[in-house]
Amino acid sequence: MHWLGRVFRSQRLSAVLVLGVLILGAVVAFSMAGPAFVDVDKALVGAVQPSQPPSSEFLLGTDSQGRDMLAVMVVATPQTLKMGVIAGLVGIGIGLLLGLLAGFFGGPLDTVVRVISDSLMTVPGIAILIIIAANVESMSIELMALTVASLAWMNPTRTIRSQVLSIRERGYTAVARANGQRELEILFREIMPNLLPYIAASLVGAINGAILATVGLESLGLGADNVHTLGTTIYWARRYSAILRGQWWWWGPPIALISLIFIGLFLLSMGLDRIANPTLASLPRWRPRRRKRRTTKPVEQPVAAFSANGGSQGTQSILRVDELLVVFETQAGIGAAVDGVSFTLRPGERMGLVGESGCGKTTMASALMSMIRSPGHIDGGAVVLAGEDLLALRESEMRRRRLKEIALMPQAAMNSLNPVMRIRDQLTDAILAHEPQTSQQELTTIITTALEKVGLPASVAERYPHQLSGGMKQRATMAIATVLQPKLIIADEPTSALDVVVQRQVMMTLARVQEELGAATILIGHDMGLIAQFSDSIGVLYAGQLVERGDIDVVLDGPRHPYTRLLVESLPDMETRKDFVGIPGLPPPLFNRPAGCRFHPRCPFAFERCYREEPVLQDVAGRAVACHLYPEHNDLPPLPSTVNLGNDVVLTNGTTSAANEVQP
Amino acid sequence: MSLSYFLQRTFQLFLIVFIAITINFLLPRMIPGDPIESALATKIAVSGNVSVDVQAVAEAYRAKFGLDQPLWKQYLNYWNDILHFEFGVSLVNFPETVISKIRSALPWTLTLLVVATLIAFVLGSLAGALLAWPRTPILFHVLISPFMLLSTIPFFLLGIILLSVFAVEWGILPAGGGFSPTLIRGFNIATIWDMVEHSILPGLSLVLGSLGAWALGMRALMISVLGEDYVSFAEAKGLPPSRIFFWYGMRNALLPQVTQLALVLGSIFGGTVLVEAIFSYPGVGTLLFSAIAGKDYFVIQGIVLMLILALAVSLFVIDLIYPLLDPRIRYND
Repeated sequence: MHWLGRVFRSQRLSAVLVLGVLILGAVVAFSMAGPAFVDVDKALVGAVQPSQPPSSEFLLGTDSQGRDMLAVMVVATPQTLKMGVIAGLVGIGIGLLLGLLAGFFGGPLDTVVRVISDSLMTVPGIAILIIIAANVESMSIELMALTVASLAWMNPTRTIRSQVLSIRERGYTAVARANGQRELEILFREIMPNLLPYIAASLVGAINGAILATVGLESLGLGADNVHTLGTTIYWARRYSAILRGQWWWWGPPIALISLIFIGLFLLSMGLDRIANPTLASLPRWRPRRRKRRTTKPVEQPVAAFSANGGSQGTQSILRVDELLVVFETQAGIGAAVDGVSFTLRPGERMGLVGESGCGKTTMASALMSMIRSPGHIDGGAVVLAGEDLLALRESEMRRRRLKEIALMPQAAMNSLNPVMRIRDQLTDAILAHEPQTSQQELTTIITTALEKVGLPASVAERYPHQLSGGMKQRATMAIATVLQPKLIIADEPTSALDVVVQRQVMMTLARVQEELGAATILIGHDMGLIAQFSDSIGVLYAGQLVERGDIDVVLDGPRHPYTRLLVESLPDMETRKDFVGIPGLPPPLFNRPAGCRFHPRCPFAFERCYREEPVLQDVAGRAVACHLYPEHNDLPPLPSTVNLGNDVVLTNGTTSAANEVQP
Repeated sequence: MSLSYFLQRTFQLFLIVFIAITINFLLPRMIPGDPIESALATKIAVSGNVSVDVQAVAEAYRAKFGLDQPLWKQYLNYWNDILHFEFGVSLVNFPETVISKIRSALPWTLTLLVVATLIAFVLGSLAGALLAWPRTPILFHVLISPFMLLSTIPFFLLGIILLSVFAVEWGILPAGGGFSPTLIRGFNIATIWDMVEHSILPGLSLVLGSLGAWALGMRALMISVLGEDYVSFAEAKGLPPSRIFFWYGMRNALLPQVTQLALVLGSIFGGTVLVEAIFSYPGVGTLLFSAIAGKDYFVIQGIVLMLILALAVSLFVIDLIYPLLDPRIRYND
């Protein structure tokens, strides 16, 4: 079984699953091996001594008819299991058939199946079972199982139908269809293997429900005639007042066995669930902030942080980031997503932070907000905002700085607003969290002003997020982020989900609001055009490190770092109609970064020193660059028409030739 | 709330009621044999004499149901009876009507069911949300796990265990019934306390039996909600953790949880019936239990119909409440 092999290899086979299998195995073993050790006849023929508590002769005592309870249990357990399994299998069989048909073929068939199963779900199953069971003259185990099964198919049908629908939508099914596989082949090759965990979970659920229903009916006295099951044993114990008489050995063992079965099934289904949804298995845990001792360097002291004009004048900075280190620890390894980044920001400065995906831009934003989630944590450095090291603050103190001093406009504006709260309330709770004394009247004024500033009518306050367009949602988050007039705004790709026209409008609004507030801004993005238009200065991140930092005009006119150059070149140019050049290769993965300069495997100019020695930021032509080409060179050498990129990647210069492909 | 939503749900309610009543009419007639005949026969056999009662019942039964009439006419008569709350008479306690029996039992069941379900739903959801909350201490995870296992055991088996421990062994709570036999009922503290005391064990079985399931469901929902962008934006707003937990986390995770409540309400109803029977609680469950034991068919049918109707109405109410919780449905025109 291909699927089973995958499960075993992937270590997802949790302890929960194993424990469940062990418990169920023990119950099954008891009912299978029992007859070899226990005289089952004692379950039928009453012994001489009725109602005996457990003794060496009767290990589990006797009932009021003198039957040996241990023998009764040996006889009853397999009957209960048998009924549960038959009913479960029949239920899952019907469910699988209907679910597959409905999900795969859809249409009117789907509608009919859904309507019937949905309306049967809303009828209390036990009621229908009672009606059936009460009207049947003589009940057998098999009939009982079928009765129960008649109500055990709806849940599997629903589950399987919805899973088939979701699998059908996935890429590989479409690929198979495009490759000309027939529908039936797709059903068995592509859909069934992916359904297996759900089928297994549904089967467990169906057996669970079936045993629950049979035991319930039996303890009402509606069980099969003349058969010992765990449920009928409980019924007779109740009939003969064993509970009120304290004869626990009569009702105790069947309840214990049933409980074991249910606990086993529960653990089993939890284990299967974790195979189907691995995210449920392990949760990130919140760990208290590692508070630094308050011995950070005073702000006035010169530091190795580079401001936009390339100098190291640390004075008059609103923000100073110093050797910031964010580390992620997982089973796959340990890696620094932000690795010793330092820079400063003047009041009112607009800095663009660029880099490809996975270079640490968003992690950087979270770190500045002190919002790194497990398995990551801030491992060192300082984030000094207006003379105060944010990383040295307690969590409760930091919380008061968020929004009030340092605000974040998130990447996913579409989902950044709480869907069940009005915009007014989402602004109100933000204001009140920082200024609890604000009166109702003041609140209204503040909210109206904040909305109007970002170009939204005051009536938006009464709306819910789903009533707003994408651009309006982004403006609403902007209104929230700027409502308390923070000293620093971090805008993390604020327009990535918007169309180009709206993008521009939102960016213009952001620029205007920023100017009015005089707040420093960090604009994160990979759209160089947008960044160029908005920013005063730029910082280029590669693999968690700042590789170039300077005034926007200086850097864009003559980038000195090869990576910056390639990023700038990748901009489509309307005037000269150059061909589009991408950067070959990908940034290195977090847990496997190259030695020396991290860019060297993709760098067209890499030479021997780059392979072993990590470059540090140095002043080059009015900006800071981390590259070994300097200070030997003054400028970046022209890009050779064909350069060998590290091992085997060859880059053809795209500025002149049309055939600019990356050849393997 | 939009009118079309209301009309749609109302139509669904009537559809379910219609189907349920029809099934309830057809099922006994599809099964071979005459249950009434056999019930009367059993009764005669047990009591040993043909009493006047039995004859009278038989008369009433024939007159009412006219089994010689064609099926469609029986069906119409059946509807007519139901619309007048005529579920027939008890075979065991002739001439007491089924509806009067149900009417005296229903308030007990409803109170027990509603209170226990609310407690279990609220506590379970809260526990589940806390299990997903990264700041919850480990100790809480340890303390809650026994409840998870307890909830895998069916309500009524838990009931037996609770009954024997608290009532039989320790004798600190009453063993059954809805009130003390010696109690003079009135609207006073003593009466209320006596009734509360009697409902603790059945209520506890229902709460313990479902708490873990609610917690488990809520945990999964809360995990996915806490991964949403609006939760991290809430954190960036500098909101206190409690505000994020309740208003951004739980508030959103509760929506599917309420849908789930609607789906499992049926099995909760079934569980309540069985728990009542264990504790001889004077509700519908105990009534059903004794009706089954005495083969009192009209009572059984009446109760089953009652259960189906009660469930349909509860679902209807949940559907009407849901838009109040979720503005996306409320304003979807």
